[in-house]
Amino acid sequence: MAKKLNQQPALHKVIMVGSGGVGKSALTLQFMYDEFVEDYEPTKADSYRKKVVLDGEEVQIDILDTAGQEDYAAIRDNYFRSGEGFLCVFSITEDDSFQATQEFREQILRVKNDENIPFLLVGNKSDLDEKRKVTLAEANSRAQQWNVPYVETSAKTRENVDKVFYDLMREIRSRKMEDNKTNNGRGRDKSKRKKLKCVIL
Amino acid sequence: MSKSNMADTFSTVVVRPDFNPEKYVNELTRKCIGGQELQQQRQKIQSLADETSVLLKKNVYQNYMQFIETAKEISHLESEMYELSRLLNEQNSLLSSLTTMSLLGDKIPSTVESEEAVDANQVDEEKEEEERRRKLAAVLEKVEGAMAILEVPGRVLLHEGTLMELDPMDNKPIHQIQAYLLNDVLMLATWIQNSRGPVRYKFQTTYELGSLAVVNVRDLGGLGDSLFKLLAFPDTRVFRCSSAKLKREWLDKCDHAKKSRLAQEQQKRDNTATADRSPSKLAKSESLDSPSNPFEDHNDGPAEPELPEWLVEMPEDLDVCIAQRHFEDAYNLIERARDFIDKNCSNHMSDPVIEEIRRKLDARVKSLIEVLMKELEVSPDKSLQGGLRAARRAVRLLNQLGRSTQACDLFLKLCTSILKVQLKRVKREGATVLYVRQLGGIFFSNLTDMAREFLRAFPNSPNCASAFVGWAGSELTHLTSHLIKQVFMPQSSISTLAECVTCVRDQCDQLCELGIDLRYQLDGQLRTPLIRALRDSREKLVDAVKLRGAEDKWHPLNLQNKAGLTKFIQEMSDIGIASIHTYVTGECWINLTSNTVAFCKLYLALVEDCLCLATAELLYTIDEVLGDVFHAQLKHVEASLKNDKLRSESKFIQKNAVFLLDTLLTIVEHCYEEKLGHKCTRLSSLQEEYAWIKKEGPKQLINSSKPITKYSSSEYL
Ligand SMILES: Nc1nc2c(ncn2[C@@H]2O[C@H](COP(=O)(O)OP(=O)(O)OP(=O)(O)O)[C@@H](O)[C@H]2O)c(=O)[nH]1
Ligand SMILES: [Mg+2]
Repeated sequence: MAKKLNQQPALHKVIMVGSGGVGKSALTLQFMYDEFVEDYEPTKADSYRKKVVLDGEEVQIDILDTAGQEDYAAIRDNYFRSGEGFLCVFSITEDDSFQATQEFREQILRVKNDENIPFLLVGNKSDLDEKRKVTLAEANSRAQQWNVPYVETSAKTRENVDKVFYDLMREIRSRKMEDNKTNNGRGRDKSKRKKLKCVIL
Repeated sequence: MSKSNMADTFSTVVVRPDFNPEKYVNELTRKCIGGQELQQQRQKIQSLADETSVLLKKNVYQNYMQFIETAKEISHLESEMYELSRLLNEQNSLLSSLTTMSLLGDKIPSTVESEEAVDANQVDEEKEEEERRRKLAAVLEKVEGAMAILEVPGRVLLHEGTLMELDPMDNKPIHQIQAYLLNDVLMLATWIQNSRGPVRYKFQTTYELGSLAVVNVRDLGGLGDSLFKLLAFPDTRVFRCSSAKLKREWLDKCDHAKKSRLAQEQQKRDNTATADRSPSKLAKSESLDSPSNPFEDHNDGPAEPELPEWLVEMPEDLDVCIAQRHFEDAYNLIERARDFIDKNCSNHMSDPVIEEIRRKLDARVKSLIEVLMKELEVSPDKSLQGGLRAARRAVRLLNQLGRSTQACDLFLKLCTSILKVQLKRVKREGATVLYVRQLGGIFFSNLTDMAREFLRAFPNSPNCASAFVGWAGSELTHLTSHLIKQVFMPQSSISTLAECVTCVRDQCDQLCELGIDLRYQLDGQLRTPLIRALRDSREKLVDAVKLRGAEDKWHPLNLQNKAGLTKFIQEMSDIGIASIHTYVTGECWINLTSNTVAFCKLYLALVEDCLCLATAELLYTIDEVLGDVFHAQLKHVEASLKNDKLRSESKFIQKNAVFLLDTLLTIVEHCYEEKLGHKCTRLSSLQEEYAWIKKEGPKQLINSSKPITKYSSSEYL
């Protein structure tokens, strides 16, 4: 039985980033297996792959669930390089995790060297509204500043879990189509995109 | 069909799964002729039923014994496993400390030792290095082009194995890879296909552990059990191990190697940090002295002091310290940074750089506190082996960080679980008293240790001290409620209770040495059950007195022979009735009834137990018990005196009464006063109330009415 190689559905690579304990793994597992894990076991680096139907088209999603606590910046760079889109997660119950998104964003932009990289700011644990430390306004204004969508999710109640993954895949897909066009035309022209300044702090 | 045959088959018939009792009985009645034969059949079935029930009982018992045995075995095994895992852990940490030592290549510096020892040390070191090279060379000999690997000093091989590399696009196997995990790099080699001779490999590449991302593939659209990925830009490589277990091993080993490397780097940084950690050197002068700062010249605003490098690196260093559990270093660094910021930057409040550092510092302090608190937290999968001593470090640091309240809280929770584990180990075997002594012993000795440890961990902190007292109180409540359930049962005798309670009280009193007096609380919690138990035993004893009274024939006690008499006299003197010999008549007679003597023994035992238990709160009940029981016996004597049928025995009855009042009751009153320091009014009033018995002759007795109504009067005493 001959199988054509190009029959493989398109693969979209998503990276989960954010501080430890914000619910990256919980979101991933809820999306993958419809289950919520109550216990907290810090992740090292796990990858998952699954076939899904995105707007009528069968595609594959590859999720890399990273560690909130990774000691080597060089290793983090390697994670980020392998991704096509990012879910940058914080917990609405923990201000530090929100502050940390800034650093993650900066590192991702530096590594990918692309300001329009598919990226969603995700405020998780929306079910714990009574413990909220990060206001909707704060989060929205940061998202606006970055020019990315902000979505609040709950890995526990499954609220918006599918939405963030599917929205991100749509962005990745439209990005790829855009790239293909430019590729087919004059070849890949990265310089057209807004390049980042090298900032030394 | 013969009858014996029938009995034989019966047992086999009955056990058949399709046995139908109704049908069987019908058939039986049809076959048997006459009532007698039926009767016989019935008997046979009956005997079979009896036999079966006996067998069943035996079986149950046997199973029960087996069950108990098994349970014991299991608990045995459990403790062995526990021990084993502890040993393994120890080994593990020993080994890892050994590997870090050899990774660093530095040995413990020999202090002032004899020349020979130093020489021997050096020889050892050289030998070790040679050994290391030799081992690694032996492995790498099989890998073509890998000899350069040997050149880095101190390199060791941590893990080796064969992997199948897969195409990252379609997951099809590409080729076999031989992978070598060294302490700083991962080396990959391809297989050289060669049918003759041993397998050989060809060096392919190495990846630095400090930048290699190792990813566990959990799920690759259904498969992934034994897959993992390496991300090292621009490569993404997928490998398959022969089993999920081997994959786990690779991941763990890689992680471990990475952590060790981090520790090593940290140590190096620490060393350099301490080298330039001279407090007199201010940041300003440092930066001014440094000619190599290219940004210095461009800085034409008001001369801002450049921040020292250690301060800039402080957040990262703190992260590493915390991750590596070098908590003291972290604390010192935090203090140093705070000091610096306070001293030098108070006038730069608005300086965004300082603000940033301050914010980062605060975040690290918070995470250090969190980690330390985690350290103290109790969780089911955490061993309590280290006990409280293991908590000292975290508690001390939390105190230093100003988190005494939380530390105290966690510390006490830890104490609770340690106590629980310790108490759980006490098995209820043998006498109740032994069990209670053991339980109480463990409880109070642990409490003593914990109090000591607590006072040591939280010295001169009244808040924490009161928390401890409160905690100890609630733990005591647990213990007493357990004891009440285990010991205060209707069938436990008052003497058992007395022994148990005094034992626990004594143990409790030992805590007073540390200034913690739980005695009042202990007594308070035991009061209600003790009152109940005392009242119960009063009911029982009064009933027993009445019962024996009804059977009293009023005959002197016959001890059969001389030996019996001697033994009896000894026995009575032992319990305090030294005057018993005045009651001897003849060879072997005692001028008292066996009832009186038995009551005397029983009552003295009761008195002893009651006096042991006596506390101010129990006194009322104890008086009641002692009074009522004695009163019951006196009522029996009174009734007998008034009984016409016993008129001939009245002299003898009176003699018994005199013994009860003058000897027994007097002794008891004396003991009571000696022990409690005051007279027992209830017993004194009995003495008065029944004084007439001793004097009056039997004739007047019949007509005289009772002088006082006792109950109403004594109730108010
Ligand atoms: N109530 C609530 N709890 C959540 C939610 N998401 C995650 N959690 C809990 O938060 C804890 C941490 O979740 P994880 O998903 O393991 O966190 P993580 O981001 O993967 O952490 P690292 O792997 O250390 O980076 C777990 O105990 C989860 O049960 C949520 O939406 N609501
Ligand atoms: Mg995780």
